[in-house]
Amino acid sequence: MLKTGEWLVGDATVVTSYRTWQFSGGWPPDSGWPSRNVHTDDEFAKACGIPSRAASGAMVQGYVVDFLADVFGEDWLGCGSFNLKFVAPVLIGESIVPKARSSKTVDESGRTRVDVELVCENQSGDRLAVGTAVGWL
Amino acid sequence: MDAEVTTDRLRPGDKLAPLQLEVTEEFNESIVQSVGADHSRYSGTAGQPGVVHPALLIVFSNLTRSPSFKLPPHCAAIQTHDDVKLEGLARTGDTFEITWQVVDTYIRRDRHYQVMDTCVSDSRGRTILTRKTTNTFMGAGHPGISRISS
Repeated sequence: MLKTGEWLVGDATVVTSYRTWQFSGGWPPDSGWPSRNVHTDDEFAKACGIPSRAASGAMVQGYVVDFLADVFGEDWLGCGSFNLKFVAPVLIGESIVPKARSSKTVDESGRTRVDVELVCENQSGDRLAVGTAVGWL
Repeated sequence: MDAEVTTDRLRPGDKLAPLQLEVTEEFNESIVQSVGADHSRYSGTAGQPGVVHPALLIVFSNLTRSPSFKLPPHCAAIQTHDDVKLEGLARTGDTFEITWQVVDTYIRRDRHYQVMDTCVSDSRGRTILTRKTTNTFMGAGHPGISRISS
């Protein structure tokens, strides 16, 4: 249950090397899999001026989506919204923990619109992404 | 879009080529596993296909997935902001169309940013997901990661 001002903390998910390949390596996993990009290949990342490969921001969004579906219910997957600003790269091996707290509730057409503040942190509490979301209860 | 113009040089109004994306159960399951999701809604039940994980639609609606996406060698597109609206449930077994259009470009702290409107619709033409995504570019003359500003 989301109470105004209280942080709700999601499960930690480890960004493993294989998961990053699965997520960003393309589909189907044919002979050229995983495709080379800044998320799957260190050398490719370095050639683009990035110190090492990092997880896609979309992967972080995937964690957030499941977390918010748990908070608001499955219907949220067809009517919710969220925004994220990516403030630090997500490195391989880090654990991602999504957090949300209600910032405002408004009664609208018989439902309660809930605005939440979103944060994704790593295992050290460093912020990797911040944003907001809207759901309905 | 001019075939010689790379994606980082697109201007407001320019579009990328649309993508037709078929999402099978196996494809969805792969993405579900990769984000550690553990919920029966994604695998479906008898007579009801599973829900496509929104992360699949998000990662495959990144501008890099357009058939016309092209960058100079040693250049990468990096997502800095994303505003996502989930407008309908997507189901496995369907084919989705993804469209992209540049709506803004700007420079901040010497870095080039490009804002893209993206729409994912299902085979019945229903809008499933819309995004307003901001990307910046690194390498090939663009500043490196140490100069990313938020």
